Amino acid sequence: MTNKKKNNYIPKDKLGNNFVHKKQTINNNEEKESKEKNTSLKNIILSIKNASYRYSDAEENDYALRDVNFDFESGKTYAIRGRSGTGKTTLLSLISGLERCTEGEIIFDGKSLKNMNLDKYRNSDIGIVFQSYNLLPFMTASENIILSMDVSGLKIKNKREKAIELMEKVGLKENYADRKVLRLSGGEQQRVAIARSLSYNPKMIIADEPTGNLDKQTETEILEIFKKLAHEGNKCVIIVTHSQNVCDAVDVIYDLKKIKEENNK
Amino acid sequence: MFILKNAWISIKRNKGRNILIGIIILIIACACTITLAIKNTAIDLIDSYKNAYDKEVTISFNRENMMKDFDPSQDDDRENAREKFDNIKSYTISDIESFADSEYIESYYYTYSVGLDGNNIEKAEIESNNNMPNGFGHGKENNMSSTDFTLTGYSSQDAMREFINGTYTMSEIADNAWDIAFDGNYVFINQELADYNDLKLNDKIKLESDDGNTYEFEIIGIFKENEEGTGEPMSMFSNSANTLVTNASAVTSITTSNEDLKSTINPTFIVDSYDNVEKLQDEFYKKGLDENFVLQTNEELALSGVSSIENINSFATTFLSLTLVIGGIVLFVINMINIRERKYEIGVLRTIGISKFKLTMQFVAELVIVSVVALILGAGIGAVSSKGVSNSLLESEINNSNERTEEIGKNFGEENTTGGMLNRGGRGEMRGKGMPVVQAYDSIDAVVDIKVLLELLGIGLALVLVSSIASMVSIERFSPLTILKERS
Repeated sequence: MTNKKKNNYIPKDKLGNNFVHKKQTINNNEEKESKEKNTSLKNIILSIKNASYRYSDAEENDYALRDVNFDFESGKTYAIRGRSGTGKTTLLSLISGLERCTEGEIIFDGKSLKNMNLDKYRNSDIGIVFQSYNLLPFMTASENIILSMDVSGLKIKNKREKAIELMEKVGLKENYADRKVLRLSGGEQQRVAIARSLSYNPKMIIADEPTGNLDKQTETEILEIFKKLAHEGNKCVIIVTHSQNVCDAVDVIYDLKKIKEENNK
Repeated sequence: MFILKNAWISIKRNKGRNILIGIIILIIACACTITLAIKNTAIDLIDSYKNAYDKEVTISFNRENMMKDFDPSQDDDRENAREKFDNIKSYTISDIESFADSEYIESYYYTYSVGLDGNNIEKAEIESNNNMPNGFGHGKENNMSSTDFTLTGYSSQDAMREFINGTYTMSEIADNAWDIAFDGNYVFINQELADYNDLKLNDKIKLESDDGNTYEFEIIGIFKENEEGTGEPMSMFSNSANTLVTNASAVTSITTSNEDLKSTINPTFIVDSYDNVEKLQDEFYKKGLDENFVLQTNEELALSGVSSIENINSFATTFLSLTLVIGGIVLFVINMINIRERKYEIGVLRTIGISKFKLTMQFVAELVIVSVVALILGAGIGAVSSKGVSNSLLESEINNSNERTEEIGKNFGEENTTGGMLNRGGRGEMRGKGMPVVQAYDSIDAVVDIKVLLELLGIGLALVLVSSIASMVSIERFSPLTILKERS
């Protein structure tokens, strides 16, 4: 890690319910250092290094996001939390390659996003899941998934079969395949969105408030899917959220609020 | 491939909008097909007019040059001018043959005139001396005015401009006249002269030169002059009353046997291009043409007949431009609205990683598919409609061309003119020299040919590209995350 002072890696305890307490421990430099060493030995898929973002029309020191340093490993679930205005969505757009850092850089799988084709990155390396699902309403569930395969350039013989297989993986039966997505419930649509994000087998799933529009039961089921993808599928799952339930379910929490506060000091 | 698949799905999904776009393109295509067909037909017609006129060059006397520094009130000047005039070197048939041997000249013909007196016929009494029908008028022709008749020999039918332009019209003609007219002592005489001497077809007339030689000619045709009199109030005969029309070789044989006879040669050269006339003139001067002669072309005459068609052509161009501008704007606006309606789709597709280029291609492909269908239908409807529209627009031209064609035939004594193309005993194709049109048009086929279709295709592609600019700009400008946030 290049910037030790600003590293906000916050290990979550096994009970997973005392973020504030854990955050306090992270201020201990020694522990931070040891965590960094441990982290560097593990399978880091994404590193955010001193990333800052300022809108083009903003004033010189008016950053939407400043000096963020996060690492993400394969096989783990992460929550990025923070109140409104802390830069959650900005960070999501940087990680998902929809925007580029104005300062610092993001390294994915050893390569800086600066040097990558971000369209290719989005359609092959990462999968994005949104709170409002963002499926194409005029297509069926399977067509949405197949479209994503097409965009990624995936060459398999029977894309429909693969789509149905993915749908089953996220808990949707085959008979949902030919339904227009508008005829599906919120939870079902989100499952389709997750299946779509998995269609080209990305190394990382980025989800923006994926359970924000869902009831508790569905939220739990969706979170289980994410956990399974990380722990069994060895994917890195990053969830941008302000939901305590999500934070409780993930392995690691990064708190943007803390960073904002430190930057404002 | 998925771009086309997506494009097709989108077309099916947005039937109403695509039908509207299709109808607009169909109307544009239909209008363009008709306009292009008319435009191309008009251009063909203009070319036809221009081609109907051979690019003719004649030798004219340079009066301006002669009159330079001439003051008629000064006796010396008058004397000098006369001397200068008498010293002008004329040209002979061998000179003309030499001039015609040029890379710029495609063919040539000439009239060869000589003055003779009547032996067994009398000249029609007229107020003035006989006139040269086509003389360039330098001083030596004056010698012919003292003779009874002017015997004008034409080198070919092409040279018979008075018949082509309608000054002379054949009123009686022997059956085989055109088979023998250019090979022997045969003449066409004026009706007035025939009446005056009680002459008829196949009669033989004798002419004599001042040295006493006589020359016998057989009458194979009688013509009338259509122009009004001589311009002299008391004259009862036309200009050509004492003009005898024969072939150039007959005149040559007369002038060869009597070198003192004064004759006039009027050559006409057919050139490949008007642009080379100056070079040709320089070449003539080098070959011995007196510098008091200049070359003149019929370019102005050739262009005078096409003004109305050029108006139609320019109207078609304006109409086409307006159609394209208005059509382009309408399509652009519809596409702009289309893009705004599909912002969410763009956001989703961009988020899942479709590139801006591929996304733009999808939108262009949608427009291309709709446009191709509409263009094919439009071209079909346009092709059917274009003939009627163009014929009504060019109706007066059609009528004029028919009338002119018939006139040429009648001038040569032809009773049934078909198509205005005359062919005489293997002497070559008779074309309407001096006339704007030789082909008869009962209608003008505004043909929707491959050229029109290619032009239409080009227009279609241009329209698609113009209206696709809306998609290109929007896709470039839209931030997918902002779109999706707005939607959320």
